[in-house]
Parts: sequence; structure tokens; C-alpha cells
Amino acid sequence: MNLTLTLAVFLLLNLLVALIRVARGPTPADRLLAALLFGTTGVAILLLLADAMSQTAFIDAALVFALLAAISGAAFARRAWREEVPDDESR
Amino acid sequence: MSLVEGASLALLIAGAAFFFAGTVGLLRFPDVYTRLHALAKADNLGLGLVVLGLLLRAPGWATGIKLVLIWLLALLASATVGFLIARRARRHGIAPWRAGDRE
Amino acid sequence: MKLTLATVRAVLWRSALFAVLWWALTDGRPDSWGVGSVSVAFATTVSIYLLPPVNTYVSRIGLLRFLVFFIVQSLRGGAQVAGFALRPRMGLRPGFHEIDLRLPEGIGRVLLANTLSLLPGTLSVELQGNRLCLHVLDERAPTETEVRAAESRLADLLGLTLHTTG
Repeated sequence: MNLTLTLAVFLLLNLLVALIRVARGPTPADRLLAALLFGTTGVAILLLLADAMSQTAFIDAALVFALLAAISGAAFARRAWREEVPDDESR
Repeated sequence: MSLVEGASLALLIAGAAFFFAGTVGLLRFPDVYTRLHALAKADNLGLGLVVLGLLLRAPGWATGIKLVLIWLLALLASATVGFLIARRARRHGIAPWRAGDRE
Repeated sequence: MKLTLATVRAVLWRSALFAVLWWALTDGRPDSWGVGSVSVAFATTVSIYLLPPVNTYVSRIGLLRFLVFFIVQSLRGGAQVAGFALRPRMGLRPGFHEIDLRLPEGIGRVLLANTLSLLPGTLSVELQGNRLCLHVLDERAPTETEVRAAESRLADLLGLTLHTTG
């Protein structure tokens, strides 16, 4: 077993433990942390697998993961910032 | 093993170590805000080191540019999503844990 | 749209950027450039309309200094969190910290809020006008100094002037 595969499996275990922790909450905000986990740990696992298995397609999958994480973040942000306009004007 | 290979391995292992620290932080930290710190910092540094380690092994420039792009997108995602979660939590009145409270 | 020097420069820079991006995404396959050149032209056109060129340029020395600052601070931030997480007694002293920004309104403040979330000990929670609310891991840490340093670096990068607070 080569090193990148070992590290990918190690990170997968990390992700599993973290997801169990996140699913337990206790608040809804804690559960939202899963979005962050896929954006970082998920991406790292895919990149390491791409190297371990010489499958460059996994890099593209990682790119899509990161892009989706960024776009969903930006979409939420736009909505949330619009709510804030009255506060900005009253300043 | 060449010097570049060695550096790459060291970076990859260091990256995995930061992911591990991030997970430990997620398990041990007392509230959602501190857990966000754990993910936003340790995991992003972990990903940065992994990307750097893989850059040294990248077969060509195209793959290298893709890796850097992925890292930048992941940073952007973590920063915005982390900010939004923290803000929602505060607006919904989730009180931060203070030193002296039960951990 | 008026054809100014700024527009021409922006078109050249941006089409070069999109071309590099296309080249990387397709792994440099030569047979993809039929679709590629159309995509690059389209992306450049759309970007010019959505984000019109302005006459301020990002300073290159500012960018380099910001990158170095960001990398060093990321390392410190990761090490600090790892230190708290792995210590038997964590010794966290978290709390909220409000601070008035000196950066002018606009992209600079948003960038600062995002940057601070990745720097040691600080996490942006709320940005209203020039007031930024942070969550800090350690209330005893010199948060003010850290924020001011990041603020100055960003102002250098974007060529902005800082307001005085008080």
C-alpha cells in the first residue's frame, strides 16, 4: 500500500469520526459544519486518491467539490447580505 | 528517494497531521464557534500542505494549476461558509461557551 | 461601452487568464481549442459587463507581501488551533470582540472579514457597516494588533486609504 493511499484512508477515517460528531449536534449550526468538512477533508481525500490510483479524473471531481462548496457559500452570502441593507443605510 | 520526493512526503504527512488535529478539535472544543475555528484553520492548513505536497509530484503544469485553483476555491468556501454559520448561530441566540463553564 | 485604455487592458489580461484556465482544465488538449476560444471570448465579454474595469490596479508588491503575510499567519493559526486541541487541558478563553474597521466600504471589508477567519485566533461573525464582530479563541490575545496588521496589508494590496478611528 503506498503512502498517498494510506493517507487517503486516514483522512477518510477522520471524516467519518468528524461527521458522526457533527451529526450529533447539538445545535443546527453544528450540523452545518458538514458543509465545511466536505470542502476541505473531502477535497483532500479525492486529491490523494487521484495520486494513489493515477486517476486524474479524481482531480476534476475534487475541483467540482471545491467549486460547489464555494458557490453554495457565495449564494448563501448574497442572500444574507441583502437582508443587511437597512442596517448599512441607517449607519 | 530524491530531495523533492522527500519534501513531498513530509508535506503530505504534515497536512494529514493538521487534519487530525482539526478532527480532535472538533471533538473536544466546547461550542459551535470554537469548532468553526478548528475547521477553518487546521483543515485549511492541512489542505494547503497536501496540495503543496502533491504539487511537487504533479505530472505537468496543467495539473499544478488545477491543484492551486482547487486550493483557492476551498479557501474561499471555508471563509464564506464559516462566516455564515457563525453569523446564523449568533442571530439565533446560540451563546458562546465561556471559560469557567462546564466543558 | 466606451473603448478606453483601461477596457483594452482588462480585455487582454482577462482573456489571457481565462485561456490559461481553459488550458489547465482541459489538460492542454489541442483539439479542445475550437470550443475553448469561443468560451474564452464569451467569458471575457461577460466578465467585462458584470465587473467593469476600474482604473485602480492591484499593487504587485502589495500582493506579494499579502501572500507572505497570509501564509505565515495561516501556519500560526493552524499551529495554535492544533495546540489547543491536543493539549490535555485546552485552556480556551473564547469570547466575542467588536472592532471598528478603518477600511472604506466595499470589497476590502468583505475580504478582511474572510481573511480574518483564516488567521490565528479570530473568526468573523458579523459585519455591519464598519463594525466587525469577531469570535476569538483567547480573550487575552492582542486581537486588535492582529486585525490592524491584516487591515494594513489589505489596504496596501488594494491601494486603499485607511480612515482614522476614534
